[in-house]
Amino acid sequence: MAYVATKGGEHAIQESEKLFHDLKGDVNRQVVESIMDTMPYLVDRVMGEGSLYSPELAALAIAQSGGDIYEAVLLMRAYRSTQPRIAYAKPLNVNHMLTVRRISAAFKDIPGGQMLGPSLDYSHRILDLSLLTDEPKQKEPVESAENPAPSSYPLVAEWLRKQELMAEIEHQAEIDPADIPDVTRDPVAIPAPRAHRLQALSRADTGGVLALGYASMRGYGFIHPTVNELRLAHAEVEVQHPVTGQNFGIGRMRVSQAEVITKGKTGYSLGFTATMGWNETKLIAGATLDMEMNHTASHPALSEDFVMYHTEPIESHGFCNHFKLPHYVTFSSSMDNMRKIIKTMYGQKAAGIREDEATDEVASAPTVTKDTI
Amino acid sequence: MKLNELSNLDTDYSYGFLDPYAKRELRRRILKGIAIPGYQVPYASRELPIARGWGTGGLQVTLSLVGPDDNIKVIDQGADDSVNAANLRRFVTRMSGAETTDDANSATLIQSRHRIPEEILQEGQVLILQVPDPEPLRRVESDMAKSRILHADADYGQMWLVLYEQLVRFGRYIQGTSYPVMVHDRYVMSPSPIPRWDTPELHQSHHLTILSAGREKRLYAVPPYTNVFPLEFTDVPFEVEDQSGWQCRVTEAVNKFMNELPQDDGTSQYELSDTGYLRKLVARKNDDPVSIGQTYYNEEGEFYHEGYLKKPHPQA
Repeated sequence: MAYVATKGGEHAIQESEKLFHDLKGDVNRQVVESIMDTMPYLVDRVMGEGSLYSPELAALAIAQSGGDIYEAVLLMRAYRSTQPRIAYAKPLNVNHMLTVRRISAAFKDIPGGQMLGPSLDYSHRILDLSLLTDEPKQKEPVESAENPAPSSYPLVAEWLRKQELMAEIEHQAEIDPADIPDVTRDPVAIPAPRAHRLQALSRADTGGVLALGYASMRGYGFIHPTVNELRLAHAEVEVQHPVTGQNFGIGRMRVSQAEVITKGKTGYSLGFTATMGWNETKLIAGATLDMEMNHTASHPALSEDFVMYHTEPIESHGFCNHFKLPHYVTFSSSMDNMRKIIKTMYGQKAAGIREDEATDEVASAPTVTKDTI
Repeated sequence: MKLNELSNLDTDYSYGFLDPYAKRELRRRILKGIAIPGYQVPYASRELPIARGWGTGGLQVTLSLVGPDDNIKVIDQGADDSVNAANLRRFVTRMSGAETTDDANSATLIQSRHRIPEEILQEGQVLILQVPDPEPLRRVESDMAKSRILHADADYGQMWLVLYEQLVRFGRYIQGTSYPVMVHDRYVMSPSPIPRWDTPELHQSHHLTILSAGREKRLYAVPPYTNVFPLEFTDVPFEVEDQSGWQCRVTEAVNKFMNELPQDDGTSQYELSDTGYLRKLVARKNDDPVSIGQTYYNEEGEFYHEGYLKKPHPQA
């Protein structure tokens, strides 16, 4: 069995890749660190959709892919596939997170207080051309508040539950993390377990979730989303030591979550989305869709099947781009039918067949003709 | 024994890229698929360093079956030298150390997009077809939960209705590739976007066919010697593409599946779609030693299972 050298194809794809990399500057550690420092929101988006928390690898993926976010996410996902699952982290408790931003649109003030935290929401979106100089410009320092903010905040939903405006969560016995349905390890079936749905939203394409969430908000949905709480935090991730059984911290990560509420039959119902990194747009749209998916007769585009399958970033990106692949066999098969249809229904001439090569097939064609239809 | 010897730091990837658990899952799903011909088996579908929709379903099957002694053929639209086929082949060999070939007869595993080779595949060979959409009922029922119920009930009435509507509107079946087939008298299956020319080749085949959709996370199989029939009304038979009169400009072959190549003057030339077979015919023409297997269609265009393709019925 001899190795058969591949022909033109392989060389062409190697050169094509080189041409792509020629479009951008060289990537090195400094470039990667600069992306980490200056673009945390981009890094967060790539980590969240890539389903892998590593600011350094996400920044590398962004640099390596020339800033093509879908390609960067694919790099993260593919790398993730190679990593063994060593342990399951302890569940993150929102009460123990270092919360840096937490707002509620449902109330003027909330237990623990509104905390605006880092945001561009109220900035004037004006390009700062003064930054286009070589002079290093100092950022204006943040003024410390008179009273230090509390490090953790209760959930606004807890207040609603105490007021009996929202159903209590049925607390289930603690389950082994390995038994939690895992969208990356289980085949997806619809209706999906809630764990699959929340994991899918967590990994979903921000743009896709926004488009569908916005469709719901604009009137294709059943609900009016009220942002009960939106929260950005740093969370300590803990795992149990396999030998000593002690819990210990393995690092800190940026996490964010949103609770959106709407009127239900017996009180307010709640939609939820959480993701690695800070990504407020995705959270609000995702939590809206989470509620929308609970409706049995939601708009088809807001159903669980539709949302979960169409907001998957690397699947939608990959399939859209696969249409660049040759499809000439498919097309030729379709053309075969098209020629026959035209010939049967409109005659040889319409099918582009010259008179001298025309056969008398039409006259004797056993198929249905235009006149008999 | 030192810790770093145990932790395998030098290995970037495990053999065949996929971790052993993923491979075990895939092999189990494949066995289930073989046990229930034509039934779509859901699987987790790992992310690969190849874009989704570019053959990752087929690739996962190939990676879970490949061993160092295998001989791999990868084709796209029939061509071994297509850029995507070259890329997938490069990946499989890099991850497995297997040998590659463009000879359909000597390959142990053939991963293909949209074609089945012209030479009859034999026992022991595995054909892995890449599948964009595993669900033949998609156009009549886009809700996957509902289409699963239709399959469970073998409720295929809407598929027959589609065919009937095609006859009424166009006077013929207009499905191009992915022509729906009935497998083992039980499941309606999409044979993947192979041309109708290749569809009969799945019937009572000597080889095993595994079809896998990575993006849609479903795989299914046609075991050797299984009945596979296109959906057709008894009085309007299924027809393969009509390429009569087309002759390969390189080999002068006829009655094999051809690519139509538009010419500047508005005419067309034709060339064999199966490049491995084309190379063999060229070798034979040059009197180079070559072994050419029997083909599914003979020189006269007759399919090797006599009577499988029915002649169009004369209309009453």
